[in-house]
Amino acid sequence: MVEAATGPVADPARGARPIDRIGLAMRASHLLALLLLAGCLVFALVAWRTGDVFYLRLATEALIFAGLALSVDILLGYTGLLSLGQALYFGLGAYMSAVLLRSGWSFAGVMAAVLLGATVVSFLGGLIVSRVRGVYFALITFGMAQVAAKAVYNTRELGASDGLIGVPIVKIALGFTTVSSDSPIGFFLFVLGFMVLLYLALSYLLDTPFGRILIAIRSNERRVPFLGYQPQRARLCAYVAAGIVAALSGALYPMLRGFVSPELMSFTTSGNAVITVVTGGAGTLVGALYGSVILTALRSVIGSWTSHHLIVIGLIFMAVVIFFPRGLIGVIRARLESWLVRRRTR
Amino acid sequence: MTPPILEVSGLGIAFGGLRAVDDLSFRAERNAVTTIIGPNGAGKSTVFNLISGALSPRAGKVTFDGRDCTGAPPHRMRTLGLGRSFQITSLFPDLTVFENLRLASEVLEPRSRWLLPVSRSPIALARADALLSRFALTGRADELAGALSHGEQRRLEVAMAIAAEPKLLLLDEPTQGMSHGDTEETAELIRSLAADLSVLLIEHDIGLVMTISDHVVVMHQGRKLAEGAPAAVRADPAVQAAYFGHA
Repeated sequence: MVEAATGPVADPARGARPIDRIGLAMRASHLLALLLLAGCLVFALVAWRTGDVFYLRLATEALIFAGLALSVDILLGYTGLLSLGQALYFGLGAYMSAVLLRSGWSFAGVMAAVLLGATVVSFLGGLIVSRVRGVYFALITFGMAQVAAKAVYNTRELGASDGLIGVPIVKIALGFTTVSSDSPIGFFLFVLGFMVLLYLALSYLLDTPFGRILIAIRSNERRVPFLGYQPQRARLCAYVAAGIVAALSGALYPMLRGFVSPELMSFTTSGNAVITVVTGGAGTLVGALYGSVILTALRSVIGSWTSHHLIVIGLIFMAVVIFFPRGLIGVIRARLESWLVRRRTR
Repeated sequence: MTPPILEVSGLGIAFGGLRAVDDLSFRAERNAVTTIIGPNGAGKSTVFNLISGALSPRAGKVTFDGRDCTGAPPHRMRTLGLGRSFQITSLFPDLTVFENLRLASEVLEPRSRWLLPVSRSPIALARADALLSRFALTGRADELAGALSHGEQRRLEVAMAIAAEPKLLLLDEPTQGMSHGDTEETAELIRSLAADLSVLLIEHDIGLVMTISDHVVVMHQGRKLAEGAPAAVRADPAVQAAYFGHA
């Protein structure tokens, strides 16, 4: 065991700590996130100057669904679990928010209640789904979301198939200012800030030993117990974290649109989130944000040309999966990452 | 006198009708190298799976470090001080060599650091660094584990097994597929490991077994055929017939 010098990249002078590739990859994500943030601010400025409402509202919706995509990415990109029912938690947050706002709750109260509700529900759901993997995980998450959607669809108190309308405008007190949910620019900036916080919180979590265990589970779950960890428990924690992120994002939806419908819990919503993550780049976090913005833009642009926009989006998705299996942002991030590695080793 | 690090008594498991391990009893003494040998299919790796918690025995008892650990799950055995390597290399192929070692060392950190950034896990980082140099992998630290050569992967496999400073190390054919030179280096390494921990080894290379073992257990068709000092086992006619004999 003394042949270190024969290794092709052996460099006794290097001496420095080995490169933390996962940490560097995350830094590459941060650079891209910064770029997206700058883009959003420029967009906000232009929209504000031109007095636009439609595109600001659309962009706000894109950011809200980016939160749902972030939640899918924790499971799919980091832990290697394909959830086909993440809309369950998005819808849970949206309905809780709508019901509580209609009863006159404040923004902070609503968000706290959604946080608590999502924690409890995703913990209970997690007890079931963390026992299984692979296709069984996908099917059970799908099934749970379908059951929840059907239950909501048939509950008259929740508006049944019509959903709940007439969610009042909410004032969000931020200390230095108050944002009203009916102000296009104000609410857009608020949601942008909220997503930045979610992104930062998740990137922090994934850089802890806990987050690295999730990555280890994705890479080779069978080895994990022999390192002293319980994959099942880690999967449960990941599922709860993902549920909370989805629900908090969903809670913003009725503030934007003033209504909720069972559609928010449907498979279309869950499936769109998966498509968003895969298009943007699974396991990058930032890919989920870009993916949501890109797909919402495409849907809007192509939708204004043809009513068959889903066919076009389907074709684009297929092309991405075939030609950029790491996703559009995944490809760029990989380039950025190797540039960061080169800069470190030079 | 302190009890042996591992005592197995009457251990048994069956897969369908096949008694993979049948009424097996042996002990592994502290700071010694105990080796299990036997023809392919004798049940050696199954014994490792029963001890490390990958499988639960149908019969018998596993006493580890004076504690009854029969059927304890793998993460619990790891916490109690058991490390194991795998016959078929089991790494995290899309993570770097360093990250593989850091993950394996992370249990040395107090739980309170689990929700801090990994850069604030000084014990695990230092341990991973030390393992890199001990196993001559420093130059490969930034490579993905899946990109290493077979010999390097086997070394990393052993390094990960000892990362969390186990009391007993189970090594399942560490020299599998290694060149002669690498095998000798591995033998030296195992001897040096036995200075501060106990080793239970499965090995096919009889030359290696004879030079590094303190105690040899011979298995044949799930049962114990013989055990004793290497020379005595080698001289046993029953062992010769079942194992060394008629190739």
